[in-house]
Amino acid sequence: MSDAIVKDFRPQRADGVVAPINEDWLAVVLGLFIFVLALAALANIDLIGWVVTTSVWGNLGQSLKATSKGYASLGGVGALIATYVALTVVLGAAAAALKSDVKRFVLAFTAVFWIAYASWVIGNFANFAAVTPAEQQKFGVSWSLKLTNEGGYIFALIAGLIIANFFPRFADAVKDAVRPELYIKVAIVILGGVFAVTAAGRLGLASSLILRGIAAIVEAYLIYWAVVYYVARKWFGFSREWAAPLASGISICGVSAAIAVGGAIRARPVVPVLVSSLVVIFAVVEVLILPFIAQAFLAHEPLVAGAWMGLAVKTDGAAVAAGGITESLILAKNAAEGINYQPGWILGTAATIKVFIDIFIGIWAFVLGYIWTNHINVTPEKEKANAWEIWQRFPKFIIGFVVTFAVGLYLALGTPAEIAKNVPAAIGEANTFRVIFFILTFFSIGVLSNFKTLWREGFGKLAAVYLVSLFGFVVWVGLLISWIFFSGIRPPLAG
Amino acid sequence: MTQSQTRTDLRKELHSAAVEPLLPIEKKLIGWSLTIGLVLLVGLALFNHFVPVTF
Repeated sequence: MSDAIVKDFRPQRADGVVAPINEDWLAVVLGLFIFVLALAALANIDLIGWVVTTSVWGNLGQSLKATSKGYASLGGVGALIATYVALTVVLGAAAAALKSDVKRFVLAFTAVFWIAYASWVIGNFANFAAVTPAEQQKFGVSWSLKLTNEGGYIFALIAGLIIANFFPRFADAVKDAVRPELYIKVAIVILGGVFAVTAAGRLGLASSLILRGIAAIVEAYLIYWAVVYYVARKWFGFSREWAAPLASGISICGVSAAIAVGGAIRARPVVPVLVSSLVVIFAVVEVLILPFIAQAFLAHEPLVAGAWMGLAVKTDGAAVAAGGITESLILAKNAAEGINYQPGWILGTAATIKVFIDIFIGIWAFVLGYIWTNHINVTPEKEKANAWEIWQRFPKFIIGFVVTFAVGLYLALGTPAEIAKNVPAAIGEANTFRVIFFILTFFSIGVLSNFKTLWREGFGKLAAVYLVSLFGFVVWVGLLISWIFFSGIRPPLAG
Repeated sequence: MTQSQTRTDLRKELHSAAVEPLLPIEKKLIGWSLTIGLVLLVGLALFNHFVPVTF
């Protein structure tokens, strides 16, 4: 079956130079780096308080500011420039570690950062983001789409989609910095610490939620995969080489699962790559639709909504980001009704579900690899699947998530009160970077989603399996399971 | 082989590849996955019912 096998897990340049580190480990390094810098605030050393944050605005001049009051003198524009310079230096170093062309990366990243952040700022305009009548009055607007400030993610996504579909040459020119997987993995590493601060206040609730995440693993690997594989093979007549990565992409975790399983069953590299492009496009569709459905029908079951995003939206980036948008929309709707839930729980639930699902990608890929190389396409002994691949395919950024979660929890619960009280503010600075990585993720996902190209290439049959499985089965079963395990559980009230 | 040739080949492959019948091992994989999955889900649902969320 395979004329080339996906074996090496580190990036390789066309000239054969292999990077010393892969994207997963790099995300851990970058996420922990930001997290540690943020924690310096606990020793009264504010290292990253200059990072820019955006508020809902009616007057553009008041939209930006530095996160920490200690850096207020920078002004909004100064903070934005400082953030751009810092990210360019750090991510430029990351590009060098990945053996990419640093100059090309820096140029591309400059375009990606400014367009993505400009979209975010536009999304924070009061006519789009203001939620309550009091906010509308404050900003002097008579109407609002009530998308909340996190609706800015949608604007970044749309900007990316416009570039991908109407300016494909520009999309190609910036592709070196279009790295949604890297950006979201860094964000998820930081999110571990943010979720720890949220969970510290309600440890019983957090551990109950984590326990219920097990149901997600069972659903994704054992129920979804089997059904989608059957549909692809039996109803659509796909070969095993196509059906296995396709089922993995649709049912487990999008891009990572399609690539891991493609490698494990020794599929040609082009197969998981094509499946991945489909995954990204459908994830975009889901992100644009599902959070709004959740707001309309699940506003009073916030954690069902969060779990649903984690289960139904494929790719880490889109799922966690959809969790963020859903949280924002649902909190806003509840706030309008006078119920103020503590933020962080809906996003935390979506992220936990996704992380739980990700943990088992390596094991599932090994199981399939074992079956394929021993029973379906029997291969020579040295090419058979071996248990070492489980570790090689394990998504390492999860280690970063667990580390920041554990450290955050320890700092919030295990340190003297005078230190513990400063933990939320310190990790809050890292969280501002998390938001920026989310913005970059959304924009990048958009830039990768060229609908025309996919259609022109004639892969409608692949898309049909995806459409039938996703919207005919995965989304609704995900909702049902989320309802069974999360209904009736409410986040704590704010304050 | 050029990129456009590869794309054309893939398109042809996707539209006219001979159907590979489900092998017994694939049927076993699907059957066992669904069975174990449903049993575990029922078990977890019972756990969820009898061990409610703590706040």
